[in-house]
Amino acid sequence: MKRISDLSSFNDVREAGLSKLLPDRPRIAIGMGTCGTGNGAESVYHAFADAINTRGLGMNLARTGCFGFCAAEPLVNVYLPGKPLVILQRVQPNDVPGILDDLASGRMPTGLALCKIEEWDHITGHVRFGVGLPEIPHWHEVPFFTGQKKIVLRNCGLINPNEIDEYIAIGGYQALYKVLIDNNPDMVIEAVKAAKLRGRGGAGYQTGIKWEFLRKAQSERKYIICNADEGDPGAYMNRNEIESDPHSLIEGMIIGGYVMGATEGILYVRAEYPLAVHRLNSAIEQARECGLLGDNILGRGFRFDLQLVEGAGAFVCGEETALIRSLEGKAGRPTPRPPYPAEHGLYGCPTNINNVETWYNIAPIVIKGPGWFTETGSAKSPGTKVFSLVGKVNNTGLVEMPLGTPLKTFVYDVGGGGTHGRAIKAVQTGGPSGGCIPQEMFDTPVDYESLGQLGSIMGSGGMVVMDEDNCMVDVARYFIEFTHSESCGKCIPCRVGLDKSLYYLNRITQGKGTEADFDLLDDLSRMIRDTSLCGLGQTAPNPVLTTMRHFRHEFEDHIRAARCRAGVCEDLALSPCENSCPLHMNIPRFLQLLKEDRLEEAFVSVVMDNPLPASTGRVCQHPCDNRCRRTGVDSAVNMREVHRYIADAIYPSDRFDALASDIAARRKPLTGKRCAVVGAGPTGLACAFYLCMLGHEVMVYDSNPAAGGMLRYALPDYRLPKDVLDREVELIRRTGVQFTFNTQVPRDVSLNDLDGQYDAVFLSIGTWKESWVYLPGTELTGVIPALPFLEAVSKEQPVPLGKRVTVIGGGNAAIDSARTALRLGSKVTIIYRRERKDMPAIPEETEAAEAEGAEIVFLATPHRIVGGPDGRVQAIEAVRTKLGEYDSSGRRRPMPTNEIIRFACDTVILAVGETVDLDFAKASGLKIKESGLIEVDRYTLETSRSKFYAGGDLITGASNVSNAMGYGKKAARNIDRRLMNVRRWEEVFPSFEYDQAPPAHASEAPRHHVEEVDAAQRATTFAEATIGLAPVDAMEEACRCLRCDVRNGDH
Amino acid sequence: MNKAKVATVWLDGCSGCHMSVLDIDEVLIDVLHKADIVYGPLVDAQEFPEGVDVTLTEGAVSSQHDYKLIQQIRKRTKLLIALGDCAVTGNVPSMRNTIPTKRLLERAYVEGADIHQRAPSDGVPALLRHAVPVQEIVKVDLHLPGCPPKPALIAFALTELLAGRKPDLTNPSVAGLVKFG
Amino acid sequence: MPQKISLRIDGELIHTAAGQSILDAAKAHNKFIPALCHMKGLSSVGACRLCIVEVAGVGRLLPACTTPVQDGMSVTTQSDKLRRYRRIALELLFAERNHVCAVCVSNGFCELQGLAKRLGVTNVRYPYTYPKVPIDLTHPRYTADQNRCILCSRCVRVCAEVEGAHVWEISGRGVGSRLVCELNRSWGESTNCTSCGKCVQSCPTGAIAEKGFAVEEMSKRTDPISRLATLRAAGSDNKPGVIL
Repeated sequence: MKRISDLSSFNDVREAGLSKLLPDRPRIAIGMGTCGTGNGAESVYHAFADAINTRGLGMNLARTGCFGFCAAEPLVNVYLPGKPLVILQRVQPNDVPGILDDLASGRMPTGLALCKIEEWDHITGHVRFGVGLPEIPHWHEVPFFTGQKKIVLRNCGLINPNEIDEYIAIGGYQALYKVLIDNNPDMVIEAVKAAKLRGRGGAGYQTGIKWEFLRKAQSERKYIICNADEGDPGAYMNRNEIESDPHSLIEGMIIGGYVMGATEGILYVRAEYPLAVHRLNSAIEQARECGLLGDNILGRGFRFDLQLVEGAGAFVCGEETALIRSLEGKAGRPTPRPPYPAEHGLYGCPTNINNVETWYNIAPIVIKGPGWFTETGSAKSPGTKVFSLVGKVNNTGLVEMPLGTPLKTFVYDVGGGGTHGRAIKAVQTGGPSGGCIPQEMFDTPVDYESLGQLGSIMGSGGMVVMDEDNCMVDVARYFIEFTHSESCGKCIPCRVGLDKSLYYLNRITQGKGTEADFDLLDDLSRMIRDTSLCGLGQTAPNPVLTTMRHFRHEFEDHIRAARCRAGVCEDLALSPCENSCPLHMNIPRFLQLLKEDRLEEAFVSVVMDNPLPASTGRVCQHPCDNRCRRTGVDSAVNMREVHRYIADAIYPSDRFDALASDIAARRKPLTGKRCAVVGAGPTGLACAFYLCMLGHEVMVYDSNPAAGGMLRYALPDYRLPKDVLDREVELIRRTGVQFTFNTQVPRDVSLNDLDGQYDAVFLSIGTWKESWVYLPGTELTGVIPALPFLEAVSKEQPVPLGKRVTVIGGGNAAIDSARTALRLGSKVTIIYRRERKDMPAIPEETEAAEAEGAEIVFLATPHRIVGGPDGRVQAIEAVRTKLGEYDSSGRRRPMPTNEIIRFACDTVILAVGETVDLDFAKASGLKIKESGLIEVDRYTLETSRSKFYAGGDLITGASNVSNAMGYGKKAARNIDRRLMNVRRWEEVFPSFEYDQAPPAHASEAPRHHVEEVDAAQRATTFAEATIGLAPVDAMEEACRCLRCDVRNGDH
Repeated sequence: MNKAKVATVWLDGCSGCHMSVLDIDEVLIDVLHKADIVYGPLVDAQEFPEGVDVTLTEGAVSSQHDYKLIQQIRKRTKLLIALGDCAVTGNVPSMRNTIPTKRLLERAYVEGADIHQRAPSDGVPALLRHAVPVQEIVKVDLHLPGCPPKPALIAFALTELLAGRKPDLTNPSVAGLVKFG
Repeated sequence: MPQKISLRIDGELIHTAAGQSILDAAKAHNKFIPALCHMKGLSSVGACRLCIVEVAGVGRLLPACTTPVQDGMSVTTQSDKLRRYRRIALELLFAERNHVCAVCVSNGFCELQGLAKRLGVTNVRYPYTYPKVPIDLTHPRYTADQNRCILCSRCVRVCAEVEGAHVWEISGRGVGSRLVCELNRSWGESTNCTSCGKCVQSCPTGAIAEKGFAVEEMSKRTDPISRLATLRAAGSDNKPGVIL
C-alpha cells in the first residue's frame, strides 16, 4: 500500500478505491459480518467465487460487512454499472447460478431483491450508483429501514472493511486531514461540545467536556481508549460496526488523540469477537502502511499509534476503571471515582475512554459541523443511536434511529410487530443494567432522560422485545443470574446482595416465594442500587425494580397463586397447553389415555377437569392452540376437538350411565355446609359441580326455565345442539346439584335471604345487557341488539328480521348473529372497524360465516343509520378508515377518511359487546368498580361482602365460556378452603397411571381439522354445522402430542 | 387477673439459654406472679397447648421433629421469641451445614465409634439438610441474640412483655447487651 | 501547607485541611461513621460500603473513605436510609460466610461483631449461604479461616503496601471470591511471607489469627501498623520485615 503523505497521494488511493466500489463491470459483494456468516454467507461467497472462476466471468467479488437487517441474512449487494445497487436477501448457494446468469446477460437479478440504493450519503462522501428498476423498492421504503438514519452505520454493508482504499474512496480520513491541516484542536473540541455528542456507552456524559478534561491535563503521557467490551446479552452493535467499518473507528481515535494530546490509543475489544479483532487488526496494519498511524501522520508531523487489546470477557470490564485495571494486567475490579481516569487513569496517566459508537460520530461532526449534527435527534440528546432490536419481533437487526424516536416505532414499524400474532408485553432496554418498559408506555421517546425516568437506561443499545410468552419474573431472574455471576465481588451490596436477590427470585419462580420475600427483595434491590461501588452493581437491580414496578401483578401471580401465565416457570406449569387453559385441564393426560386406548378413563379425566367437555369442545376459544409446542414442528394438536370427541363418544353410549354413577360416587362425604350459586350458566355450573363433589349441598338459582345460560340462550343450535348440553347438565345433576329455575335473584330471592340460608354464595350471572353505541338512528325500527336476538331465536320466539341485515361488530356474538340471520333467510353484511386479524371472534367461525355467504367489510366505522319515512331502517352509512398509528393495545388505530360507504338494509344488529346489568350490581350492595363490574380479590374471588363470591362475566365483563368456567372452578376451590379451613381440593381428583415418556416417534400426520358440513347445505338449517373428529383421527391427534409435560429426573 | 401463658422450647441447642433464663434470679419470681409456664423443659406438659401468649425458643431448627414442632408452636403462640444465637443465627448447630448429612452421620456414628458402628435411625427424627435459624421456618417476633443471651436482657424482655409493652432493644439500659456470641 | 477548608458534618461546622477524606475529617472530629475495609495507613478501596454518607446536592450516596472533603460541603452521616442500608450490608456479610461468634477466636474483639452490636443488628433476615470454604492451618504461627473472612482486603493491602511482600490476593469473582496466598498455595508453602503478622493484626475478624489463642482471646492491634505506614509515607522508616 502506498504511503499517503500529501493530497495527491491521498487522491490516488481514493481513485483506486472508487474503481473498486463502482467498477465498469458487475460487482457482487456478500455481507459477511458474524451475522451473515452465521446464516451461511461463507458458502454463498464460495459458490459465487467458484462459479465466477469456472465460468470465467468478468465480475468482481467482494466481502462487505452487514447492512443491518439480520432477519434477512445472507444479504448480497449486486452492482451493474449505471444501475442502482440492489440488495438481495436470504441468498442461498443454489440461488447463485441464476443470479450470475442474469448478471452475465446484463440483467439485474430481481427475484430476491430486498431493496435498491440509487445513491448513498456516506456523510463524508456521496456515491451515485445509478437509477432505474422501478419494480424494486428504495431502501428507505422497506418498513425495517423506514425512519432509520445511518450516521454511525454510514458505511456498514456497503464497503469492504478489509480494503482501506474503499474507505478512503467514500471520504474516509478526510476529517483527519482537515483536522491536521486546520491545526486547531480547541476548535474540534468546541465542535464536539456544540454538537452535544453524548457518550454512547450508556451513561450519556458529554463527550466534548470529557475531551476538554484530558486536553487540559498536564502529563507527558496521555492515553485514549476505545471501550469495545460489549458484553450485554442481546447487544451486538459494536461488533457489527467494527466488523463492517473499522476505519471510521480508527479515524475517530486518531482525531481524538491529536485533539487531546495523546500519542497512544488502545482498543479494548472482547476476545469473543474474533472477526472484529481480525478486521480491526488488519485495518490498523493498513492504516500504518498508509502513514495514517505512526510517525508523521499524513506528513503533518503528528505521531500517534493504536494497539488492540483483547479483553478476556468479564462483563465488569466494560466499567472504565475495571477496564483500566484489566489493561494494567490486574484483576478487572473497579476502583472508586474520584480519582477519575482523566486525572489518574491507565498506569496513573490521564486517560480518556469512549465507547465505540462515540468514536464513529467524530468524523461526521468534523466534516459536517455541529449544526448539522444537532438537526437530528432531540434537543438534549442529538444525533442517532444504533440499537440491536432482537427478541419477539418479526424484523430483527441493527437499527439506527434518531434519538427521541418513540419506542413504538421500533417495535411496530421497524420491528414489524409480534411474531405469530402474539401480543407484545414489554421491551427491555440496556441489557442487564436496564429495565423493562411495559407496552402501555411505548409512547416513550428513546433518549437518556426518558428511559431513566422509567427506571431503565439506554445502555449501549440492546433492545429485547418480549411477548406474552415471556415471564417477567423469569426475565428479572435471568438478568440477576447474569449480573450475579459477573459481579467482581469487591463490594458487599453487589457481591452478596445479588446472591440473595437471586435466591428470592428463584424461590418466586418456583412458586415458593412469600410476600415477605417480595418486600425484602424490593428493599435489597434499592440498597444494591444506591450503595454499590460501580455501575454494574448500581444498575444490576434495574431489571428487578422495573419489573416489580410495571409487572407487579406477575409477581403476585407467582407468589399468591403459584401461577406463571407465560408458562415459563417450569415448576408452576404442567405444560403450555395446561397453563393456558382457564380450566387447567390436564390435556397431555387425556391425550395419552386416549392413545393408550383407555377411552373411559380419558372421559373421567376430561370431565373431572372440565364438567362441560362437549360444549367447550365445540365453542371454546382454544387458547391452548397458540401455545402448543407442536406449532414449532407443523401446527398445534387439535386438543379442543379431541376432548369433544371423547365426550361425544361417551355421552350417547351405553357406558355413560355407569361412568356418571362412578363420578357421582366420587363425591366426598357430606360436609353439612350449604352453598348457593346464582346463575346456571357455565360459570355457575362449574362452581356447583365442584362444590357438590367436595361434599357441600348446592342449590343453583336461575331466572330461565333450564340450565346452561349463554350456552343455551345465546349460542345458536348449529354451534351447540341443545341435546348435547342437556346430557352435560344431566351429569352435573347426577352428582347431586339441585336447581331452582324461573327464579330471579334478587327479584324473587333477595341476597339477604341467601345470606341467611347458606354458608357461601357464588354470584355468576352473565353479561346479558347489550352495550349500546351512540349512533344516530339507533331508535329506528329494525335496529336490534345481538343477545336478545339470539335468545329469541333459541327460544323459538318470533324475531323482526328483514331481508337485508347489517351486523356491526367483530366478536363471536356478531358472527353468531350473522350466521343465524343467514339461516333465517336474510342477506348479511358485517361491518368491522379494524382489520381481520384484530377480530376477537374465533377465526374458524369468521371463515365459516363467509363461506355461508356473509360479506364482511373491514376498516369501516358506522357513522349513522338512515331511516325511511316509516321509521324503519333503510340503510347504514359508514366511514371508511385507514390504519393509523399503533395504539396502547398494540393494534393500529383506525383513522377516519373522507370516504363514506352506504349499505342498503332493513335490519341492523348491534353486536358491539355486552355489559353486566348494573341494576343487579347496584342492588347487590356489593362494592362495584367504576366499570360497573363487581370488585373481587383477584385470587380468592371474595367480594366486599363476607360469604359472597363472584366470578365470570360479572367480574371481567363479557368473556368466553372457558374463561368463565375457570372462575367457577377457582371459586369452588376457594369457597371450600374457607368453609373447611383445610386444603382438600386435590382429594376430589382421581389419579391415573399412564406412560411418562415422550413419544419415540410422534405422529407425523398434519393436524386433523373438524369436518364442516357443506356451506350451502348448512346455511339453510340450524342442524350442527360441524362433524366431530372420527375415532381414528382423534387417535392420530393424540399421537401428535409431543408430551412436553414429561419431566426428567425427580419431578 | 388472668395470668399470661408463657412457654419455652428447647430445639437444637445446649440448654444454655434456659440456664440463662433461670439466671434472671429474683425477676423470675415477678415473672411467675404474672405468668404461668405452660410448656417446656422446666415443666411437665406433653403437648404444646393452644393459646400461648409468649414462647421463648432456644435452639436451631435441625430435625423433622423441630420443624413440625416450631410450626405448631407458631400457630398456637401470639408472640414468638428466638432466644439465643442458635435460634437467631443457627450458631453452633449450623456448623454442620457445609457437610452433607449422610457424611456427617457416618463420621460421627461409624468412623467415630468403636462399637455399634451404625447411624441411628429408629426412634430419632431425621436431620434436616441444614440446621437453620427459627426465622427461616416461621415468623419470629423478637430476637434475643447472645450465646447465651445475658440474663439482664431476658429479664428486660420478659418484664416489658408482661407489662404489655413490646421490648425495645435499643433502650440504653440493654442496648449494650444485644450482640451475637 | 495544605489549604484550609470548611464543611458541615451533621450540621456541625468543621475546619479541616483539603485533600482529606470525609471519613478522616469526621473521625478527627469524633463523628462516628462505620467502616470495615478502611484502615488508617492503607489505601482506601471503598469496598464495604458501610461508610456511605449523604452529601447535600449530590443525588447518590458517597463512600466517606474515598470522597475528598470540599469547601462548603454539607455531609449527613446518620439518617434512616443510611442506617437501613448499613444494616443490610452487615446482615449480608453475616449471611455470606459461616460466622459463628460463639466459638470464634475474636469473639468480643471482632469489628464485624462490634458493628453489628453498635448498629443494633439482632438477626439476619437473609438466608444463610453456608458455603464450604478453606481453612489454612499450614503456617507455623498463623491461621487463615475463610469462614470468617469478609473480603475487606486489608490483609492484601497491608502486605503489599506496608510489608511489600504481596502474599495475599483475592481470586475468583462474585460470591466465589476467595482470599488466596500467593498463586493459590497454602500459607505454609509461601515463599514471600515474612511472618511479620501485619495481616493478622489488620484482619477485622477472626479470619486471620494467631495460633495458640483460644475463643475470645485474640484482640488485634492496628495502631502500630497505621503508625508504621504513616512513617513509611513520610519516608522516615524504610526497614522491611518489622515484626509486630
